[in-house]
Amino acid sequence: MPENERIPAALIVEALKAAFRGQRKAPPVGGEPLGWVLSVPDTHQRSVIAELEGDGELRLLTCSTEDEANAIAAGLYIGGAEVVLMIQHAGLYASVNTMRGVGLDGGVPLFALVGLLSREAELEPAESPRSMVRFAGPLMDTFEVPHALLETRDDLGLIPEYYALSRERSGPAVVFVGRETA
Amino acid sequence: MRPEDVLRAINEARGDALVVPTMTAVPEWRTIAPDAPSVACIGFMGGASSLGLGLALAQPERRVIVLDGDGSLLMQLGSLATVAGAAPANYTHVLFANGVYQTSGSQAIPGAGAVDFAGMAEAAGYAFTTRIDTLEELRIRLPELLSVKGPVLVELAVEEAELTPMTAPGGDPLRVQVERLRGRLADGD
Repeated sequence: MPENERIPAALIVEALKAAFRGQRKAPPVGGEPLGWVLSVPDTHQRSVIAELEGDGELRLLTCSTEDEANAIAAGLYIGGAEVVLMIQHAGLYASVNTMRGVGLDGGVPLFALVGLLSREAELEPAESPRSMVRFAGPLMDTFEVPHALLETRDDLGLIPEYYALSRERSGPAVVFVGRETA
Repeated sequence: MRPEDVLRAINEARGDALVVPTMTAVPEWRTIAPDAPSVACIGFMGGASSLGLGLALAQPERRVIVLDGDGSLLMQLGSLATVAGAAPANYTHVLFANGVYQTSGSQAIPGAGAVDFAGMAEAAGYAFTTRIDTLEELRIRLPELLSVKGPVLVELAVEEAELTPMTAPGGDPLRVQVERLRGRLADGD
Protein backbone atom coordinates (compact mmCIF):
# COMPACT_ATOMS: atom_id res chain seq x y z
CA MET A 1 0.00 0.00 0.00
CA PRO A 2 1.37 3.46 -0.82
CA GLU A 3 2.64 5.27 2.24
CA ASN A 4 0.36 8.24 1.62
CA GLU A 5 -2.75 6.06 1.97
CA ARG A 6 -1.93 5.04 5.51
CA ILE A 7 -3.53 7.09 8.27
CA PRO A 8 -0.98 9.21 10.13
CA ALA A 9 -0.83 8.38 13.82
CA ALA A 10 -1.31 12.01 14.80
CA LEU A 11 -4.73 12.05 13.15
CA ILE A 12 -5.86 9.04 15.16
CA VAL A 13 -4.64 10.66 18.35
CA GLU A 14 -6.57 13.81 17.48
CA ALA A 15 -9.67 11.72 16.76
CA LEU A 16 -9.34 10.09 20.17
CA LYS A 17 -9.07 13.48 21.83
CA ALA A 18 -12.16 14.63 19.97
CA ALA A 19 -13.98 11.53 21.19
CA PHE A 20 -12.99 12.17 24.79
CA ARG A 21 -13.83 15.87 24.64
CA GLY A 22 -17.21 15.01 23.21
CA GLN A 23 -18.09 12.99 26.32
CA ARG A 24 -16.43 14.97 29.11
CA LYS A 25 -18.65 17.25 31.17
CA ALA A 26 -15.72 19.51 32.05
CA PRO A 27 -12.12 20.00 30.93
CA PRO A 28 -9.39 18.24 32.91
CA VAL A 29 -8.14 19.96 36.04
CA GLY A 30 -4.76 19.76 37.73
CA GLY A 31 -2.74 16.88 36.44
CA GLU A 32 -5.78 14.95 35.27
CA PRO A 33 -5.39 13.51 31.76
CA LEU A 34 -7.97 14.17 29.07
CA GLY A 35 -8.33 10.41 28.85
CA TRP A 36 -6.55 7.08 29.09
CA VAL A 37 -5.28 4.72 26.43
CA LEU A 38 -4.89 1.14 27.63
CA SER A 39 -2.63 -0.75 25.32
CA VAL A 40 -1.39 -4.23 24.83
CA PRO A 41 0.87 -3.40 21.93
CA ASP A 42 -0.49 -3.93 18.44
CA THR A 43 1.59 -4.00 15.28
CA HIS A 44 -0.99 -2.17 13.19
CA GLN A 45 -1.17 0.68 15.67
CA ARG A 46 2.47 0.86 16.74
CA SER A 47 2.93 4.32 15.26
CA VAL A 48 -0.05 5.54 17.31
CA ILE A 49 1.41 4.04 20.46
CA ALA A 50 4.70 5.81 19.71
CA GLU A 51 2.85 9.06 19.14
CA LEU A 52 1.03 8.70 22.45
CA GLU A 53 4.22 8.25 24.42
CA GLY A 54 5.01 11.91 23.98
CA ASP A 55 1.48 13.23 24.32
CA GLY A 56 0.74 15.65 27.13
CA GLU A 57 -3.02 15.20 27.26
CA LEU A 58 -3.56 11.46 26.99
CA ARG A 59 -2.10 8.95 29.43
CA LEU A 60 -0.82 5.68 27.96
CA LEU A 61 -0.79 2.60 30.19
CA THR A 62 0.64 -0.63 28.84
CA CYS A 63 -1.09 -3.69 30.27
CA SER A 64 0.15 -7.26 30.52
CA THR A 65 -3.02 -8.69 29.00
CA GLU A 66 -6.19 -7.56 27.27
CA ASP A 67 -8.19 -9.05 30.16
CA GLU A 68 -6.51 -6.52 32.40
CA ALA A 69 -7.18 -3.72 29.94
CA ASN A 70 -10.92 -4.43 29.98
CA ALA A 71 -11.08 -4.51 33.77
CA ILE A 72 -8.90 -1.41 34.19
CA ALA A 73 -11.16 0.37 31.73
CA ALA A 74 -14.12 -0.52 33.92
CA GLY A 75 -12.44 0.97 36.97
CA LEU A 76 -11.53 4.13 35.08
CA TYR A 77 -15.09 4.47 33.81
CA ILE A 78 -16.56 4.03 37.27
CA GLY A 79 -14.12 6.64 38.53
CA GLY A 80 -15.27 9.13 35.91
CA ALA A 81 -12.42 8.93 33.41
CA GLU A 82 -12.49 8.57 29.63
CA VAL A 83 -10.72 5.51 28.25
CA VAL A 84 -10.00 3.58 25.07
CA LEU A 85 -8.46 0.14 24.57
CA MET A 86 -5.84 -0.24 21.85
CA ILE A 87 -5.25 -3.94 21.22
CA GLN A 88 -4.79 -6.53 18.50
CA HIS A 89 -7.27 -9.08 17.19
CA ALA A 90 -5.55 -11.97 18.99
CA GLY A 91 -6.06 -10.07 22.24
CA LEU A 92 -9.72 -9.60 21.44
CA TYR A 93 -10.14 -13.36 21.16
CA ALA A 94 -8.10 -13.87 24.34
CA SER A 95 -10.12 -11.46 26.44
CA VAL A 96 -13.63 -12.02 25.20
CA ASN A 97 -14.90 -13.34 28.54
CA THR A 98 -13.79 -10.19 30.32
CA MET A 99 -15.34 -8.06 27.61
CA ARG A 100 -18.54 -10.05 28.06
CA GLY A 101 -18.53 -9.76 31.85
CA VAL A 102 -17.54 -6.12 32.07
CA GLY A 103 -19.15 -4.77 28.95
CA LEU A 104 -22.32 -6.83 28.59
CA ASP A 105 -23.16 -7.86 32.16
CA GLY A 106 -21.60 -4.79 33.76
CA GLY A 107 -22.86 -2.30 31.21
CA VAL A 108 -19.46 -0.64 30.97
CA PRO A 109 -19.02 1.29 27.72
CA LEU A 110 -15.84 -0.34 26.50
CA PHE A 111 -14.46 1.19 23.33
CA ALA A 112 -11.64 -0.63 21.57
CA LEU A 113 -9.45 0.02 18.57
CA VAL A 114 -8.47 -3.46 17.40
CA GLY A 115 -5.73 -4.05 14.86
CA LEU A 116 -6.44 -6.60 12.13
CA LEU A 117 -2.87 -7.73 11.57
CA SER A 118 -2.32 -9.62 8.30
CA ARG A 119 -5.56 -8.41 6.82
CA GLU A 120 -5.20 -8.60 3.05
CA ALA A 121 -5.77 -5.18 1.43
CA GLU A 122 -7.51 -6.65 -1.58
CA LEU A 123 -10.02 -8.73 0.44
CA GLU A 124 -12.84 -7.92 2.77
CA PRO A 125 -12.04 -9.23 6.27
CA ALA A 126 -14.85 -11.76 5.93
CA GLU A 127 -13.09 -13.20 2.87
CA SER A 128 -9.69 -13.53 4.49
CA PRO A 129 -8.13 -16.99 4.52
CA ARG A 130 -6.72 -16.12 7.93
CA SER A 131 -9.08 -17.17 10.72
CA MET A 132 -7.79 -14.43 13.00
CA VAL A 133 -8.96 -11.82 10.50
CA ARG A 134 -12.06 -13.61 9.20
CA PHE A 135 -13.73 -14.36 12.53
CA ALA A 136 -13.07 -11.09 14.36
CA GLY A 137 -16.19 -9.39 13.04
CA PRO A 138 -18.44 -12.44 13.45
CA LEU A 139 -17.16 -12.82 17.01
CA MET A 140 -18.37 -9.32 17.77
CA ASP A 141 -21.66 -10.08 16.00
CA THR A 142 -22.11 -13.08 18.29
CA PHE A 143 -21.81 -10.82 21.30
CA GLU A 144 -24.01 -8.18 19.66
CA VAL A 145 -21.16 -5.69 19.73
CA PRO A 146 -21.32 -3.02 17.01
CA HIS A 147 -18.17 -2.73 14.96
CA ALA A 148 -16.73 -0.84 12.00
CA LEU A 149 -13.61 -0.89 9.86
CA LEU A 150 -11.10 1.98 9.85
CA GLU A 151 -8.84 2.09 6.81
CA THR A 152 -8.52 5.58 5.38
CA ARG A 153 -8.60 9.17 6.54
CA ASP A 154 -12.23 9.33 5.50
CA ASP A 155 -12.99 6.78 8.23
CA LEU A 156 -11.55 8.82 11.12
CA GLY A 157 -15.00 9.98 12.17
CA LEU A 158 -15.72 6.39 13.18
CA ILE A 159 -13.59 6.91 16.29
CA PRO A 160 -15.72 9.59 17.98
CA GLU A 161 -18.86 8.01 16.53
CA TYR A 162 -18.25 4.56 18.00
CA TYR A 163 -16.86 6.01 21.22
CA ALA A 164 -20.14 7.88 21.68
CA LEU A 165 -22.05 4.74 20.67
CA SER A 166 -20.39 2.73 23.44
CA ARG A 167 -21.59 5.35 25.93
CA GLU A 168 -25.08 5.49 24.50
CA ARG A 169 -25.57 1.73 24.61
CA SER A 170 -23.61 1.21 27.86
CA GLY A 171 -21.65 -1.59 26.31
CA PRO A 172 -18.76 -2.43 24.04
CA ALA A 173 -18.13 -0.95 20.60
CA VAL A 174 -15.20 -1.82 18.39
CA VAL A 175 -13.40 -0.14 15.51
CA PHE A 176 -11.12 -2.52 13.65
CA VAL A 177 -7.95 -0.97 12.27
CA GLY A 178 -7.63 -2.68 8.92
CA ARG A 179 -4.31 -1.21 7.83
CA GLU A 180 -1.15 -0.29 9.59
CA THR A 181 -1.06 3.34 10.64
CA ALA A 182 1.71 5.68 9.48
CA MET B 1 -7.41 -16.17 60.39
CA ARG B 2 -11.09 -16.35 59.62
CA PRO B 3 -11.79 -14.27 56.50
CA GLU B 4 -14.99 -12.98 58.08
CA ASP B 5 -12.97 -11.47 60.92
CA VAL B 6 -10.54 -9.96 58.44
CA LEU B 7 -13.36 -8.30 56.53
CA ARG B 8 -14.81 -6.86 59.73
CA ALA B 9 -11.41 -5.43 60.66
CA ILE B 10 -11.00 -3.90 57.21
CA ASN B 11 -14.46 -2.40 57.35
CA GLU B 12 -13.67 -0.77 60.68
CA ALA B 13 -10.42 0.70 59.32
CA ARG B 14 -11.35 1.56 55.73
CA GLY B 15 -12.41 5.20 56.16
CA ASP B 16 -13.71 6.45 52.83
CA ALA B 17 -11.80 3.89 50.77
CA LEU B 18 -13.31 2.35 47.64
CA VAL B 19 -13.48 -1.44 47.87
CA VAL B 20 -13.30 -4.15 45.20
CA PRO B 21 -14.14 -7.59 46.63
CA THR B 22 -14.02 -10.78 44.60
CA MET B 23 -15.23 -14.37 44.97
CA THR B 24 -15.47 -15.57 48.60
CA ALA B 25 -15.09 -12.04 49.95
CA VAL B 26 -18.21 -10.91 48.10
CA PRO B 27 -21.14 -12.36 50.10
CA GLU B 28 -19.67 -11.58 53.50
CA TRP B 29 -18.62 -8.06 52.46
CA ARG B 30 -22.15 -7.47 51.23
CA THR B 31 -23.43 -8.24 54.72
CA ILE B 32 -20.71 -6.52 56.73
CA ALA B 33 -20.50 -3.31 54.69
CA PRO B 34 -23.70 -2.91 52.67
CA ASP B 35 -23.24 0.84 52.31
CA ALA B 36 -19.53 0.88 51.53
CA PRO B 37 -18.53 2.32 48.14
CA SER B 38 -17.86 -1.04 46.55
CA VAL B 39 -18.04 -2.86 43.25
CA ALA B 40 -17.61 -6.63 43.14
CA CYS B 41 -15.60 -8.56 40.59
CA ILE B 42 -17.68 -11.58 39.68
CA GLY B 43 -17.75 -13.19 36.26
CA PHE B 44 -14.49 -11.94 34.79
CA MET B 45 -12.00 -14.21 36.44
CA GLY B 46 -9.03 -12.63 38.13
CA GLY B 47 -10.11 -9.11 37.29
CA ALA B 48 -10.27 -7.57 40.76
CA SER B 49 -6.71 -6.28 40.82
CA SER B 50 -7.20 -4.57 37.46
CA LEU B 51 -10.64 -3.20 38.27
CA GLY B 52 -9.17 -1.71 41.42
CA LEU B 53 -6.25 -0.29 39.47
CA GLY B 54 -8.58 1.59 37.16
CA LEU B 55 -10.45 3.02 40.13
CA ALA B 56 -7.21 4.03 41.82
CA LEU B 57 -5.98 5.84 38.70
CA ALA B 58 -9.28 7.67 38.22
CA GLN B 59 -9.63 8.58 41.90
CA PRO B 60 -6.08 9.30 43.07
CA GLU B 61 -7.29 11.06 46.22
CA ARG B 62 -9.19 7.99 47.47
CA ARG B 63 -7.72 4.81 48.85
CA VAL B 64 -8.69 1.72 46.89
CA ILE B 65 -8.75 -1.65 48.64
CA VAL B 66 -8.81 -4.80 46.51
CA LEU B 67 -10.04 -7.90 48.37
CA ASP B 68 -8.45 -10.53 46.16
CA GLY B 69 -7.98 -14.29 46.35
CA ASP B 70 -4.85 -16.31 45.67
CA GLY B 71 -6.57 -18.39 43.00
CA SER B 72 -8.04 -15.27 41.42
CA LEU B 73 -4.72 -13.49 41.32
CA LEU B 74 -3.09 -16.48 39.66
CA MET B 75 -5.56 -16.10 36.79
CA GLN B 76 -4.21 -12.61 36.05
CA LEU B 77 -0.78 -12.78 37.64
CA GLY B 78 0.62 -10.30 35.12
CA SER B 79 -1.50 -7.66 36.82
CA LEU B 80 1.17 -7.50 39.52
CA ALA B 81 3.52 -6.00 36.94
CA THR B 82 0.84 -3.75 35.50
CA VAL B 83 -0.09 -2.40 38.93
CA ALA B 84 3.54 -1.90 39.86
CA GLY B 85 4.21 -0.15 36.56
CA ALA B 86 1.27 2.21 37.03
CA ALA B 87 2.43 2.78 40.62
CA PRO B 88 -0.79 4.02 42.20
CA ALA B 89 0.14 5.40 45.62
CA ASN B 90 -3.45 4.88 46.83
CA TYR B 91 -3.72 1.15 46.12
CA THR B 92 -3.88 -1.57 48.79
CA HIS B 93 -4.09 -5.12 47.50
CA VAL B 94 -5.30 -7.50 50.21
CA LEU B 95 -4.70 -11.10 49.21
CA PHE B 96 -6.71 -13.80 50.97
CA ALA B 97 -4.41 -16.80 50.64
CA ASN B 98 -6.34 -19.94 51.54
CA GLY B 99 -4.59 -22.19 49.03
CA VAL B 100 -7.73 -23.37 47.27
CA TYR B 101 -10.29 -22.48 44.65
CA GLN B 102 -13.01 -22.55 47.27
CA THR B 103 -15.90 -21.40 45.10
CA SER B 104 -15.55 -24.33 42.71
CA GLY B 105 -15.08 -26.98 45.38
CA SER B 106 -11.86 -26.19 47.23
CA GLN B 107 -9.45 -27.71 44.75
CA ALA B 108 -5.85 -26.80 45.59
CA ILE B 109 -4.37 -23.91 43.64
CA PRO B 110 -1.15 -24.55 41.71
CA GLY B 111 1.75 -24.45 44.13
CA ALA B 112 -0.56 -24.30 47.13
CA GLY B 113 1.39 -23.49 50.26
CA ALA B 114 4.58 -22.80 48.37
CA VAL B 115 3.87 -19.71 46.32
CA ASP B 116 5.15 -16.51 47.92
CA PHE B 117 2.67 -13.90 46.70
CA ALA B 118 4.11 -11.08 48.76
CA GLY B 119 7.53 -11.94 47.39
CA MET B 120 6.23 -11.93 43.83
CA ALA B 121 4.60 -8.53 44.36
CA GLU B 122 7.81 -7.15 45.77
CA ALA B 123 9.76 -8.52 42.82
CA ALA B 124 7.21 -7.00 40.43
CA GLY B 125 7.83 -3.59 41.94
CA TYR B 126 5.09 -3.00 44.52
CA ALA B 127 6.18 -0.24 46.89
CA PHE B 128 5.29 -2.14 50.06
CA THR B 129 4.58 -5.83 50.65
CA THR B 130 4.10 -7.98 53.69
CA ARG B 131 2.59 -11.25 54.92
CA ILE B 132 0.43 -11.43 58.02
CA ASP B 133 -0.59 -14.60 59.81
CA THR B 134 -2.70 -13.40 62.74
CA LEU B 135 -5.75 -11.19 63.16
CA GLU B 136 -4.10 -9.37 66.03
CA GLU B 137 -1.19 -8.28 63.87
CA LEU B 138 -3.51 -7.33 61.04
CA ARG B 139 -5.58 -5.07 63.32
CA ILE B 140 -2.45 -3.33 64.52
CA ARG B 141 -1.01 -2.82 61.04
CA LEU B 142 -4.16 -1.94 59.08
CA PRO B 143 -3.82 1.85 59.56
CA GLU B 144 -0.33 1.65 58.08
CA LEU B 145 -1.41 -0.64 55.24
CA LEU B 146 -4.19 1.76 54.29
CA SER B 147 -2.08 4.90 54.37
CA VAL B 148 1.46 4.03 53.35
CA LYS B 149 2.48 4.94 49.80
CA GLY B 150 1.43 2.16 47.46
CA PRO B 151 0.98 0.02 45.68
CA VAL B 152 0.75 -2.20 48.75
CA LEU B 153 0.22 -5.94 48.81
CA VAL B 154 -0.57 -7.73 52.04
CA GLU B 155 -0.81 -11.51 51.89
CA LEU B 156 -3.06 -12.96 54.57
CA ALA B 157 -2.95 -16.58 55.68
CA VAL B 158 -6.64 -17.34 55.99
CA GLU B 159 -8.99 -20.27 56.47
CA GLU B 160 -11.75 -21.04 54.02
CA ALA B 161 -14.72 -18.70 54.13
CA GLU B 162 -18.13 -19.65 55.52
CA LEU B 163 -19.87 -18.41 52.37
CA THR B 164 -19.07 -18.38 48.68
CA PRO B 165 -20.88 -16.83 45.70
CA MET B 166 -22.20 -20.36 45.03
CA THR B 167 -23.61 -21.01 48.50
CA ALA B 168 -24.76 -17.43 49.04
CA PRO B 169 -25.72 -15.96 45.66
CA GLY B 170 -27.44 -12.64 45.43
CA GLY B 171 -26.59 -9.03 45.68
CA ASP B 172 -27.09 -6.43 43.00
CA PRO B 173 -26.18 -7.24 39.40
CA LEU B 174 -22.82 -5.87 38.32
CA ARG B 175 -24.51 -3.31 36.06
CA VAL B 176 -26.32 -1.84 39.07
CA GLN B 177 -23.16 -1.81 41.19
CA VAL B 178 -21.21 -0.05 38.42
CA GLU B 179 -23.71 2.74 37.93
CA ARG B 180 -24.31 3.18 41.65
CA LEU B 181 -20.64 3.62 42.47
CA ARG B 182 -20.04 5.81 39.42
CA GLY B 183 -22.96 7.98 40.48
CA ARG B 184 -21.73 8.25 44.06
CA LEU B 185 -18.28 9.30 42.92
CA ALA B 186 -19.70 11.82 40.46
CA ASP B 187 -21.71 13.28 43.34
CA GLY B 188 -18.60 13.63 45.43
CA ASP B 189 -19.60 10.89 47.88
